[in-house]
Amino acid sequence: MRFEDAHIPDEDLLLATDGELADQDAAHVQAHLEDCWACRARRQEIESAIATFMKVHERNLNPQLPPAEGPRALLKARLALVPAQARRKIPPVWAQVAAAVIVAALATVLAGRWTSMYRSATAIRALSTPNATLTPGAAILASRNEVCAAPEPNNRAVPATLQRQVFAEYGISAAQTRAYEVDYLITPALGGADDIHNLWPQSYSETVWNARVKDALENRLHDLVCQGQLDLATAQRDISMDWIAAYKKYFQTDRPLGLAQ
Amino acid sequence: MAAGESALLLARDRAASRDVSPLEREVVELFDQLRGKLLRYTLNFGLPVQDGEEIIQETFLALFCHLQQGKPRENLRGWVFRVAHNLALKRRASAHFSEAELVEETLAFADPAPDPEAQLAGAQIQQHVLTVFRVLPEQDRRCLILRAEGLRYREIAQILGMSLGAVSMSLSRSLARLARAADR
Repeated sequence: MRFEDAHIPDEDLLLATDGELADQDAAHVQAHLEDCWACRARRQEIESAIATFMKVHERNLNPQLPPAEGPRALLKARLALVPAQARRKIPPVWAQVAAAVIVAALATVLAGRWTSMYRSATAIRALSTPNATLTPGAAILASRNEVCAAPEPNNRAVPATLQRQVFAEYGISAAQTRAYEVDYLITPALGGADDIHNLWPQSYSETVWNARVKDALENRLHDLVCQGQLDLATAQRDISMDWIAAYKKYFQTDRPLGLAQ
Repeated sequence: MAAGESALLLARDRAASRDVSPLEREVVELFDQLRGKLLRYTLNFGLPVQDGEEIIQETFLALFCHLQQGKPRENLRGWVFRVAHNLALKRRASAHFSEAELVEETLAFADPAPDPEAQLAGAQIQQHVLTVFRVLPEQDRRCLILRAEGLRYREIAQILGMSLGAVSMSLSRSLARLARAADR
C-alpha cells in the first residue's frame, strides 16, 4: 500500500471522506487515521471546506430560484399529453398534428402564466419607439457645461447585465436578443442615465426611424445645447417624450433626412 | 389565446379523467427531487433562470421517453444531469452569449444581496469562498457544484466526460483552495 508509512495524500483523504475508496484502501486509511492526529486534522479541514462551500453555494443561489409549482404543473400537463400519442403504434397523421398543436399551445399558455409570476412580462415588440411605462427616460443631473465639456459625445456601451434586465423587462427571450440593440432613450451625451428606465431594445429590423436617425438627432441636440440655442432640460424632455416628433421638429422634416435624399 | 386556453382546459380534463401512470408519477417525483439542484447547476453556466427552467422541462420529457422505451434505468440522476448539462451547453452556444457577458453574469450571480447578516463573520467567509470559487477553472467549478449537489464521483465523471481520477484530483485541488480561503 502506497501510504503505509507516509501520511495520506489529500486526494485519498477526500476519497475516504466521500466513501469513494475501495474497501481495502478505505481500511488502510481508517487504520492510519486512528494513529495519526495530523491526518485527522486534515480530513477535518476537507470536510469543513465541503460543508462551507455547500452552504455558501445554496445561500447564494436559492434566492434566485422561482417557486417550483408553475414548472411542476407544466411538466405534468406535458407528460399527460405524451402517452396519448405514444401508446398507439401508428397514430394517424391528424392526431399527431393535433397533439403537437395542443402541446405547443399549452406550453405557450403555461409558460406565459408562470413567467408572469416573476417577471412583469408584456410581450411588446419594441420597434422604433420605447414603451413609455417601461422606458420613460431618465437623466442624471448634468449641467450644460458638463455635457459640453466632453470633447466627443460619448456613446458608451450598455453593461451586459443591464441589457439582460432590459430584455427581460420587455419580454424578449435570450434567443431573440440578437435582433435588438439596447439603446439609451436620452443619450449619455445629453446627460442620460445608466438606468433601466432610460434603456429600451431598439429593433435592428426597423428601417425608417432607426438608430442611425436617432444618432443624428442626438448630435443635432448636442450642438444646439452647446451653442446656447436650446436648454438642456428641453432637449432631454423632447427626446424622451417622443424622439421621432423631436427629430421632425429640430430638422423641420417629416422623414429622416438620409431617406429623403 | 382562446385556442391555448381551451387546449389547457382540455388537457386538464384529460388529466383529471384518467389515472396518472406510474411512470409519470416517477418522473414527477424525480423532478421534485432534482429541479432545485439542476436549476442551480444551469445558473452556473451563466444562463438566465428562464432558460434553466426550459432546459429542465426538456430534460424530464426526454427522461419520460427514455423510460417509456424501456431503456436502462440505473443511475437516473446521473442521466438527468448529463442531459441537462448538454442542453445547457447547446443553449449557451446557440444564444450567442459573448464570453465577457457570461463572465459578468456569473459574477453577478455570485454577488450576495446585502442582508442583515452582512456584518457577521460568516458573511466574510462567504465572500472569501465565492472569490476563490469564481477564479477556479470552469471544469473545476462544475465538479465542485456537482459534488455539492450530492452526486457520486462516477456520476460526475460521466456527466462531465472525465475520468474518475480527474474528478477526485479536481475536487481535492479546489477544496484545498477553499479551505485556505475559509481559514483567512
